[in-house]
Amino acid sequence: MTAAPEPALRDALLAAVPSLRAFAISLSGQVDRADDLVQDTLLRALSNLHRFERGTNLNAWLFTILRNLFHSEYRKRRREVEDPDGSYAGRLNVQPEQGSRLDFEDFRTALNRLPSDQREALLLVGASGFSYEEAANICGCAVGTIKSRVNRARSRLAGLLNVDDVEDLGPDRMTRAALQSN
Amino acid sequence: MTGDKGSKLARVIPEASLDDKLSSEPKLDKLSQGRIGDQLRAMYDDLMQQPVPDRFKDLLDQLEKKASSAGKSS
Repeated sequence: MTAAPEPALRDALLAAVPSLRAFAISLSGQVDRADDLVQDTLLRALSNLHRFERGTNLNAWLFTILRNLFHSEYRKRRREVEDPDGSYAGRLNVQPEQGSRLDFEDFRTALNRLPSDQREALLLVGASGFSYEEAANICGCAVGTIKSRVNRARSRLAGLLNVDDVEDLGPDRMTRAALQSN
Repeated sequence: MTGDKGSKLARVIPEASLDDKLSSEPKLDKLSQGRIGDQLRAMYDDLMQQPVPDRFKDLLDQLEKKASSAGKSS
């Protein structure tokens, strides 16, 4: 049963789409899958509107739904593709979007190699603009856990990206290009 | 507080108490942290700038129509 989205709410949901998509794309590493996640999130939000407390942060609520959908789907997929070490997920990189700059590719690849709990913590706090407290609520864990995941995510990214020597990513990039061109 | 365990494991601090005080994880220097943050936001902003696919507008419009026509017929 889906309630009629009143115009204000419809606009609010639509306004939330760009940030939901950015989160979903960065989290899943795939645009198609991300759009499905966003669509499922909107549908689920509409059918659970009675659970939303008016006056609280709609975006945080939507992010919570999307994050839970992502994890339940991820668990399902993991069973399907038998991918215990996540190497399959690691290979599924976002194809460059039209207009997006090539140098984001290295960053996205590195981001995809993080454990998903670290990735989501970093995305929520470092990119989506949530506080540590909000991120903890979204992920259903303690604030300290979020802080530690964010720290580990940053350190790991710095290692993967060779932050001290950003230019030195050439060979890796060429290998990936060769692999992806097939 | 530092009682009996001290003799054997003089310098080992239980992990839980480490978490409370100092993080046991390596901390990035400010500069690297800043660079990672900048790249992350740049990548994210790029995604945020992308136009919203029509499917989402269509979806919300459709639901609105469906709900209002269902309201009339029942």
